[in-house]
Amino acid sequence: MSAILEATQLTKVYGTERVVNEINFVLEEGTSTALIGPNGAGKTTTLSMLTGLLDPTEGSIALNGEQGADVRQHIGFLPQYPQFFSWLTALEFTEMAAKLSGMDSRSAKLEAQKTLEFVGLGEALKKKTGTFSGGMKQRLGLAQAIVHKPKLLLLDEPVSALDPVGRREIMNLLKSLQQNMTILYSTHILNDAEEMTDQLLFLRKGHLVEQGSLGDVRSKYDSPRYRVEFANEQDALTFAALAPWKVSNKGTFGFIDMNNELPEMKDVLGYLAGSGLNVRKAERQTASLEEIFMKVAGQA
Amino acid sequence: MRDLIVLFQKEWRENTRNFKILWIPLVFIFFGLSEPLTSYYLPQILEAVGNIPEEAMFAFPEFTAAQVLMATMGQYQFIGMLVLILGFMGTISRERKNGTGTLLYVRPISYLSYFLGKWKVVGIIALGSVWLGLLTSWYYTTQLFGYVPANDFFAFAGTYSVWILFVVSVVLAMSAWLPTGGAAGISLALVLFVQIVDSLLGMYWTVSPWKLSTYATQWLTGSPDTSDFWWSMGVTFLAIVALIAFGVWMSKRNSSKTKV
Repeated sequence: MSAILEATQLTKVYGTERVVNEINFVLEEGTSTALIGPNGAGKTTTLSMLTGLLDPTEGSIALNGEQGADVRQHIGFLPQYPQFFSWLTALEFTEMAAKLSGMDSRSAKLEAQKTLEFVGLGEALKKKTGTFSGGMKQRLGLAQAIVHKPKLLLLDEPVSALDPVGRREIMNLLKSLQQNMTILYSTHILNDAEEMTDQLLFLRKGHLVEQGSLGDVRSKYDSPRYRVEFANEQDALTFAALAPWKVSNKGTFGFIDMNNELPEMKDVLGYLAGSGLNVRKAERQTASLEEIFMKVAGQA
Repeated sequence: MRDLIVLFQKEWRENTRNFKILWIPLVFIFFGLSEPLTSYYLPQILEAVGNIPEEAMFAFPEFTAAQVLMATMGQYQFIGMLVLILGFMGTISRERKNGTGTLLYVRPISYLSYFLGKWKVVGIIALGSVWLGLLTSWYYTTQLFGYVPANDFFAFAGTYSVWILFVVSVVLAMSAWLPTGGAAGISLALVLFVQIVDSLLGMYWTVSPWKLSTYATQWLTGSPDTSDFWWSMGVTFLAIVALIAFGVWMSKRNSSKTKV
């Protein structure tokens, strides 16, 4: 895989505030990267610099190894709340977007129609965008971002304004795009990020405090444990008192929390089988992205 | 070049669908029509609505055809300018404010094309409206007050058109620079307030864009001082080019202020 985009010491300063502070990251071709962080972390500012809307105060962005290239030639961008000219139809808007990205009139019309059908707006091609619901606007936003088949797709909170059904539909569309495009998207819907992320970039107060593959980040912040569910609270208490490991319990659950000394699962199962306790379920738990988020966000 | 065509089409479509292409010419046609009609029928209008005692005697001035056309232009210089400024003050600033500009600015467009696309469409609507209004006025003036030679009329309307292009350039450059309210305020100041200053103190200079409306009317009653006229035309063309360059620069600079 080769790097499609490389940000070096990227910094944005407003007045005395360093909204984005010397961040470095690389987007490999064909990967999907989630830019996560609490509100005000600098996610939108970072995306705005990558789209060319904002000039970095310091640092540089190289696209395909070329410094200072007009990134707008190669990107598709979906803002958090995309705004459209209400007097244009979905087809007219998408066609215009394609033409402005360099497509000839004939291909623009053809691709606009195909893309709108792909995002599920086939029935609304000739409807004015002013009549669109939030979900339809998000789909149209996605259509205008991909109609010219950009190499790099930048999405700012693509699903955060949608209801669960709309969110699922857009996530499915994004997953189907993963094969053909490099995707960088900001989000705070961490369950969704977990589904389609090769790399995590974690921003906090303008600093890139964590980055790496989901597996790497997870193993760094994970606190693995076994969770055993008993049929009754008494068994859980007995387990906590007699098991040969450090065990805590809550209700009908017993937990073996041992970061570096976690026993083998077969040993736990062996012990449980011989204990005579009434066990319902035993499983190894790993930290969810949300738990990792809370840990990283909570760092001093 | 391709992006200029696409952006021009987009502007044209916008002004068609929000009916500016209809109502702005109608305003100018209305004043172009009403000026000769009200001047001609003034005694009858006063008689019908004025509730004037029968014994009252008025000496109504006799208007010449040239004076009627000048009066039409006088209407345009105030109400017409207001319509153009208020109609187009948000052309660029509104796109930044409501975020519709974002999806244009992230595409590989040139800001020259972005600004020129708007300038051309607004210029066409403004010039089209003024010409339709002046032609209407010319027709009715000729019918009611006497013939104004075509040469004089076209020199008058042509000169006034350059002033209109100057006004359009001011409004769009201010819209590229400032939020909509500021763009309106500065445009009104530059077009209307400076015009008043020019009419009060203008005897001290003879070359400026604000003199063009005066020189335009002089074509109807003779001809303006050729040297001053051409210098003013030259300065106005330069000012238009400078305003376009400023508008392009501000459009690019302020694109980062678009709502994301």
